[in-house]
Amino acid sequence: MRDAYIVGAGQSPYGSFPDETYRTLFRTAVEHAVDSVEDGIDLDEVDEAYVGTLGVGGRQLGLPGPAVTEHVGIHGVPVTRTENACAASGTAVRQAVMAVRAGMADVVLAGGVEVMTDLSGDAVRYWLGVSGETEWERLSGTTFAGVYAQMASAHMREYGTTKEHLSHVAVKNHDNGAKNPKAQLGFTCTLEDAVNAPTVAEPLTLYHCCPTTDGAAATLVVSEDVVEEYTDDPVSVAGVGAASDRVGLFQRDTYTAIPASQKAAEQAYEEAGVTPDDLDFAEVHDCFSIAELLAYEDLGFCEPGGSGPYVESGATRPDGELPVNTSGGLKSKGHPIGATGAGQIVEAFDQLTGRAGDRQLENPRLGLTHNVGGSGGAAVVHVLERTGVAR
Amino acid sequence: MRGILAVGAYAPKSRVSADAFAEAWGSFDAPGIETKAVPDADEDTLTIGIEAARRALEATGDEVAGTDIAHLSFATTTPPLAEEDLTARLGSFLEIPDDATRRTHTGSTCVGIDALVDALGTDGRALVIAADSPRGEPDDARENAAGAGGVAFLVGSDAPATVSERVDHASPRPGTRFRRAGRTTVEGLEVGTYDRAAYVEPVTAVVDAIESIDPKTDPDAVALQAPNGGLPYRATGPAGLDESAVAAVETVSELGDTGATSVPLSIARAFKTDAQRTLAIAWGSGGGTTALVLDGRAPVVADLESDGEIDYPAYLRRRGDVVGSKPDGGAAHVSVPTFRRSLPQRHRHVAGRCPDCASLAFPPEGACPTCGELIDFDPVTLPLNGEIRAVTTIGQGGAPPEFAEQQARQGEFGVAIVRFEAAGTVDLPMQVIDDADVGDSITAVPRMIYVEEGVPRYGLKALPS
Repeated sequence: MRDAYIVGAGQSPYGSFPDETYRTLFRTAVEHAVDSVEDGIDLDEVDEAYVGTLGVGGRQLGLPGPAVTEHVGIHGVPVTRTENACAASGTAVRQAVMAVRAGMADVVLAGGVEVMTDLSGDAVRYWLGVSGETEWERLSGTTFAGVYAQMASAHMREYGTTKEHLSHVAVKNHDNGAKNPKAQLGFTCTLEDAVNAPTVAEPLTLYHCCPTTDGAAATLVVSEDVVEEYTDDPVSVAGVGAASDRVGLFQRDTYTAIPASQKAAEQAYEEAGVTPDDLDFAEVHDCFSIAELLAYEDLGFCEPGGSGPYVESGATRPDGELPVNTSGGLKSKGHPIGATGAGQIVEAFDQLTGRAGDRQLENPRLGLTHNVGGSGGAAVVHVLERTGVAR
Repeated sequence: MRGILAVGAYAPKSRVSADAFAEAWGSFDAPGIETKAVPDADEDTLTIGIEAARRALEATGDEVAGTDIAHLSFATTTPPLAEEDLTARLGSFLEIPDDATRRTHTGSTCVGIDALVDALGTDGRALVIAADSPRGEPDDARENAAGAGGVAFLVGSDAPATVSERVDHASPRPGTRFRRAGRTTVEGLEVGTYDRAAYVEPVTAVVDAIESIDPKTDPDAVALQAPNGGLPYRATGPAGLDESAVAAVETVSELGDTGATSVPLSIARAFKTDAQRTLAIAWGSGGGTTALVLDGRAPVVADLESDGEIDYPAYLRRRGDVVGSKPDGGAAHVSVPTFRRSLPQRHRHVAGRCPDCASLAFPPEGACPTCGELIDFDPVTLPLNGEIRAVTTIGQGGAPPEFAEQQARQGEFGVAIVRFEAAGTVDLPMQVIDDADVGDSITAVPRMIYVEEGVPRYGLKALPS
């Protein structure tokens, strides 16, 4: 099995862009990805593509993959659209890694796109609810805010996690996002702002919930056989893991953890031969603040139930022992559903290659990305390593 | 002798007061009414009827179950659908056998008693469900009076309450209280003397026709149709009835005009006193009357208590009069055939037990979530009481569009994961009526979930116990 490397990654700004389409956003992301390749790349060299998108709004539900690749001039190659709700493009990247490792392709474009803000409020709420368990969970009256809020209620009951703990996540991610020119909500907020914001689904307030976002992200995954054509300082996919679980929260074995995240992380750590202590940073799936707290526990950054005190200690701030979501996370950077997973890879790539601007950490060599679908029906974890640096 | 074995009664918990109306309109046009019962946005006569039916069965000490019923009637002037045999769904909630006789009675406020009379003429155990929720235009006198409630009579042999005499009377009285086809509101012409005569004369005529007792002195209680709280006392004089026997069992002053349920509610109230003989007089506009002489009493489980008053704007919102347009984004697509397939789960929480590992699953389909085997589950009906394991309250903007109208009419609602126990445990998602915390106990109650493609979907929601 051959090794896979990320030689380029780029994204469009995340936000609300009425003048853009899912195609034009994808083009912007691909152009940035191409620009980020150290020694340059021509899109003719792309053998295959994976495109993650949910299709919010019902636009282009069929064949959105070829629709965007042909738009950027990638013509005739095998293209697959991947869908795992919010883990769509994390899944796309994993598929690219699989294709490369299996020897079926040398250069694979893996990315995602979503347009969410050109719909009425009602239509958005309709589409925000399609990735839960429709027949039972949704018909009890909830979209994702409600499902994650239920997890929060169980976590608070079992471990004494507080609304303040949730709010620390919002404060940190907004501080980080304020330094990200691509972020949708690039403004800071205080703990009081977050605690006292209007309630969306008790205990989650507006500041505990990610926005709806338009955006695209793209990565270029290549094989060990060709990586030297593109860079002398590659980022390797040291480990990847993925798992699934029952779609409805009520069907799972626990309400205070996301087992699919745990399994995906275990696989990725094992393949990379690392533990959470080895990580220099992580981009985790904070669709709601509680999701980031659960991620700390599921990914082994702290013990089960300890995520509240952990975030409160500042450990996951940029100057802490394990910076989490230097990009601003889904909360501040934004969450264009199909693009998010690939966008996390973009931040990881930028950090590892020194491209992270005001958010740059000091010489990171090992990072993790964590992308969850729905409330935990799917999860994908990548461990990326700057291979030029000694371990 | 065949008669009434048990009675269940239920009224929606909210009340709005005559004072609140008077403050809004400058007057209140329904005499003798202090408060009216106001259904929740997700209650209708089907769900109210089921609540009454459950209580009737409970009144037998759970000796009679839905599976024992041979005849089911549903009587109301306000069915949720003008055409569709709702007794099929009613029966599904109550586990009434497929081969039970079914009847629907509608079109007049005397149908609750009509249905009871018909059931007394059948064989086997009969369940007669009367539920009503009249409506008028916001400034109409009938709307001022309109309330809501439900009563179920369990009918069978060797009954403690029997009918010893029945008399009927009908004569035409057009234009007194009527509802046009295609409308949801009842109206009248306000021809004062004519309207009053339309009530007083048929009541008097039917009371005059009673032979076996002296209507003035013999009844301990008189269950008299009450379109408002004043009209009955217009008739007591001319008909020769004891006013205090009417007042003793009236429900109109607290629940409002309960249409086809009006006389059944007063019968239930009479059975809760030590009345030995009750005279019941039902009236339907148009019009006709039926009088029943009831001997004895049957056990009653009644839940007519209020949990608080709402103000007039909240009442208007609850009725749906001032709610905005239908949400734009469509509703969760659960097709009618798929929904139908899940009715035992929706209506009765039928779960499944794995034949291999004996674990419970809900819904009972697919691989066993515990052992993973692709088996066929054995059906297990879960108890009505469960415990909340995770919960949230959905605020504005957090609800899927199919619940937007409910949210506009009634405000925020809860969503929980509830654990039920039946030699093992199983969790399932439920909407919560009112506030609740993790660890709270709940009871599963029938409610309307949402309407898709014009078809109302019913299920069970969680009411904190």
